[in-house]
Amino acid sequence: MRIRHLLEYLGLRVALFLLDRLSLSGAQKFASRLADSWYLLNSSRRRTAKDNILRSGITDNPAEVNRIAHESFRHFGLLIVESLKSEEVFNEDNWRSRVEMDISPETMAVLNNPKQGMILVSGHIGNWEVAAQLLSYIKPVVGITRNMNNPYTNRLMKKRKPRNRFRLTQKHDASTGRFLSVLRNGEVLALMIDQHARDRGMMIDFFGTPAATHTSPALLHLVTGAPLCFGYCLRMGPMSYRMKALEPISHKPTGNREQDVRAILEKLNGELEKIIRENPEQYLWAHRRWRNLL
Amino acid sequence: MTHDEIINRLRTMMKQSSQEDVDWDVVGEESTIESLGFDSLSILDLIYDIQQELGFEFEAEEMINIKTVGELATFLEEKGA
Repeated sequence: MRIRHLLEYLGLRVALFLLDRLSLSGAQKFASRLADSWYLLNSSRRRTAKDNILRSGITDNPAEVNRIAHESFRHFGLLIVESLKSEEVFNEDNWRSRVEMDISPETMAVLNNPKQGMILVSGHIGNWEVAAQLLSYIKPVVGITRNMNNPYTNRLMKKRKPRNRFRLTQKHDASTGRFLSVLRNGEVLALMIDQHARDRGMMIDFFGTPAATHTSPALLHLVTGAPLCFGYCLRMGPMSYRMKALEPISHKPTGNREQDVRAILEKLNGELEKIIRENPEQYLWAHRRWRNLL
Repeated sequence: MTHDEIINRLRTMMKQSSQEDVDWDVVGEESTIESLGFDSLSILDLIYDIQQELGFEFEAEEMINIKTVGELATFLEEKGA
């Protein structure tokens, strides 16, 4: 296992070395070709992506399913490259010129208030990695991460990932108050709604099929009253994005925890579905969202 | 409610949302919340239940530094439970 980990680490170092030296357009071409090969060779992920597209009901035309799945793989390749290059391209002074902002005034007021924390919910659509960096030019952002199985690549990527005022905190941690601390410190706590939550989630419909969904965004809103917003960052072209954040969701606790959490999560999943239907090529279909069904 | 009554109520509530198999009869003042199976996610269930069942509002963020059941009971006592 250790040798495999070291070989993976070496491969990643070489890939990063090349990416760092390639121009942006060169790196984008490289990523697209790599994604094409990955789509061709990784039959298991390709099947997962196609099954997920079919299950979503977005289309049942096999050629269209194949096109969306293939484009999704390419999009993911570009996402990695552009995320790694984003610190070279964006800075505090220029980022607004490449980003179209469509943020509700209520949400913008929260972002501009350094004392107010915020729960920002998104999904694996567009470029969530760059989104965190861009948003952190307005307000510090904390994302949740899980350790990779390979400790060497894990260490390397941990060094590369944080950008500007974007930092990461561990998904599994005994420290009971750390999410509450993020909100108290006036930071944005960025949470992904479409990760498989295993046995700790609540079954919520996603494209009409129940999927184990993390309850934390809803509970955090219910117990802290912190603004809860849904947002995303679509790719419009090379290193060009459109950031959208809806107005905050407000839900007062009723005393029925399950019902309150369900109502909020259904709304969030509904918003995510809407944007995926409009931009299916920018969604990470290869992710096993309905793992509970397999 | 007295301090001991609050601890009893907490024990019942914790039992509902804990992630661990705990001997609840021996849980007392000094028991740490972490040792009872709570982490940064499951603590939110407990906070919701405390806010709703004890029927008063407090800022969840005020609980950040609370480590033990006794400290939690004292905090709630001070808040008027």
